[in-house]
Amino acid sequence: MQVEKFYYDNRIVKNFAYATVVWGVVGMLVGLYVSLQLVFPALNVTEYGTFGRLRPLHTNAVIFAFVGNGIFMGVYYSLQRLCKARMFSDALTKIHFWGWQLIILAAALTLPLGLTTGKEYAELEWPIDIAIALIWVVFGWNMFGTILKRRERHLYVAIWFYIATFVTVAVLHIVNSFELPISLVKSYSMYAGVQDALVQWWYGHNAVAFFLTTPYLGLMYYFLPKAANRPVYSYRLSIIHFWSLIFLYIWAGPHHLLYTALPNWAQSLGVVFSVMLIFPSWGGMINGLLTLRGAWDRVRDDVNLKFMVVAVTAYGMATFEGPMLSLKSVSAISHYTDWIVAHVHVGGLGWNGMLTFGILYWLIPRIFSTSLYSKKLAGMHFWLATLGIVFYAVPLYWAGFTQSSMWKQFTESGQLKYSFLETVTYLEPFYAMRSFGGTLYLIGAFIMMYNLYKTVKQGKLIANEAAEAAPLSKIVESHGKEHWHHKLERRPVQMLIGSLIVILIGGIVEFVPTFLVKSNIPTISSVKPYTPLELHGRDIYVKEGCYTCHSQMIRPFRSETERYGEYSKAGEFVYDYPFQWGSKRTGPDLAREGAGNLKKTDGWHFRHFRDPASISVGSIMPPYPHLLANDLDTSSTPAKIRAMQTLGVPYPKGYDKYANAELMDQAKAITQNLLTDSIRVAPNKEVIALIAYMQRLGTDISKPQQ
Amino acid sequence: MFKFIKQYAETITGIEIYPVISLLIFFLFFVSLTVYVLSMKKSTVKILSEIPLDDESETSNTKI
Repeated sequence: MQVEKFYYDNRIVKNFAYATVVWGVVGMLVGLYVSLQLVFPALNVTEYGTFGRLRPLHTNAVIFAFVGNGIFMGVYYSLQRLCKARMFSDALTKIHFWGWQLIILAAALTLPLGLTTGKEYAELEWPIDIAIALIWVVFGWNMFGTILKRRERHLYVAIWFYIATFVTVAVLHIVNSFELPISLVKSYSMYAGVQDALVQWWYGHNAVAFFLTTPYLGLMYYFLPKAANRPVYSYRLSIIHFWSLIFLYIWAGPHHLLYTALPNWAQSLGVVFSVMLIFPSWGGMINGLLTLRGAWDRVRDDVNLKFMVVAVTAYGMATFEGPMLSLKSVSAISHYTDWIVAHVHVGGLGWNGMLTFGILYWLIPRIFSTSLYSKKLAGMHFWLATLGIVFYAVPLYWAGFTQSSMWKQFTESGQLKYSFLETVTYLEPFYAMRSFGGTLYLIGAFIMMYNLYKTVKQGKLIANEAAEAAPLSKIVESHGKEHWHHKLERRPVQMLIGSLIVILIGGIVEFVPTFLVKSNIPTISSVKPYTPLELHGRDIYVKEGCYTCHSQMIRPFRSETERYGEYSKAGEFVYDYPFQWGSKRTGPDLAREGAGNLKKTDGWHFRHFRDPASISVGSIMPPYPHLLANDLDTSSTPAKIRAMQTLGVPYPKGYDKYANAELMDQAKAITQNLLTDSIRVAPNKEVIALIAYMQRLGTDISKPQQ
Repeated sequence: MFKFIKQYAETITGIEIYPVISLLIFFLFFVSLTVYVLSMKKSTVKILSEIPLDDESETSNTKI
């Protein structure tokens, strides 16, 4: 058959590679900065630079900017070659690249401004959510267009991972982003409380699964054999790896909610599937490592392979740890502590980071038709990064375990042994060591940036790389009866539908009962909607990212009920749009901050927001003087009330008309209270609303039931 | 939550069957996949696994 001549588009690979490096360094810099804020609270400067606003910037930057661009770089390089075809449309390619960078830019601007939905790893507000969906479709369209015009009949396993990534991320993003806009920059999640938590962690967990894992596994199945110059150890295993992984992953979300108010059956499902996940995960890891069988001597000299081996090993460690952390007894210790932070960074720095670096060192010299500028610098990067991971993770494992034990210790007379603050100040040295590890890793990334810059300088981009291949014949040669799966491996659309079905099963089984069965969320008649002032206060709580350090979910352990009061019930959160259970306790739980022993005076809260360390000596909470200065935007009250009514909150009809009058009454009462504490402040300041919200937290269930 | 989603069922008796059904679906799926994978011809597997190594184009002759 006549061979066709065509050209691979390397310019787009180059663009995404540059974006990966630049955003990677930016994301890591922000990460280092927020880690230092925990050691030196004075680094919380201005209202735009507090930990609560910068931490989402760090997570979004490394996940969607660094790893996101890394995915696209690898996919655009490998997909063209695996399909023996240029990308479907140069225009779509350009739109995809620039669209994605604009989204990242929008995130980098809006998150410090406090424009957030308050749902972890999905903080971006609704207009950006829509942009993400559109650009994601552009990516999928371009990918499928390429697959359909391919010159290689069979879809290599890497492409299956790309297809599953595309379809699942689309489903996750859309379902979790259902929100009701009240302005261009503010929306409310359409789910409340327990249901919001379930959807959010189904999303959150599978963002890890289908954004940080499956696309990177696809990259591993392409770039590791390329770098080692030998085929993957077992292609059979890769087929089992693919299907089992995507089937099981989607169920595992509830393991983020163990011992919470989520119905027990959903927690158990999450545990069972999380434990089972170790098998496909380790199958994939073993498949990756054994690809190097007989070539281990090359790992000594080949820097690409070094990075990739550490990446796959880190993948193995993180996917062993994940199922272990999903056991209820282990979660009881690890949840809310730095152990989890260590865990995600073994995955992020180890698996995603190291694989990205390995691919960059392999790919940049190739598309620039040159060799790497300095192998020695790359080797140096490798050791800095590897040691950086160790110095990062070990102190945090230690810190997490220590803090958890301190939370749970009682004296002989049955009192809690440590105040919460004591457990925080104890961790300072560990936080400092973690920042040291992060610094090493970041220095390595800068060295890579320099090395790649020099490599690019000495080469010349082959923007359009010539290649030849025969077109696909119309008729498929068939040798006897063919297995259905083998046919499927040639059919991308069916593969997409198959993946979709497989990932929907888990979601549906978990969601449908939680949404439709009443007994899952027993209502409590004394739980009432927030007052307008409290609602504003809650929005400020969300805006400032308080959930990045404070949970609102008391687990049913004696050590928690002693410290925080009665354990949390599902029915308490029915008006929480979005839920704010949090996932980390850098500060104490706030679920009952306004009730029982925890209740403080309005004056205490006022002074504490102004300067936390002056009230709690040694506190690392950022000061919030801007809340004392900023006026509360009461013009949005009617819209907020109407939005809540649309979502089903039982405010009286026409309440939006007089909500602001009630708001002012409550605010004035608080300012009167503050006056007795010799604090003079106008009732229209943001801090008043936040105090009202603090004082409301956890009070409902102590009222008599009607 | 959405107003239009009503909580149709009062209780959740019989929920124990859920994980069992899920497990069963996965088990059957997994077994049929394993059977297929083991029945693949060695020659086919070899060809498929070498797809990524078979894409060297004219210009990619760089050495690192």
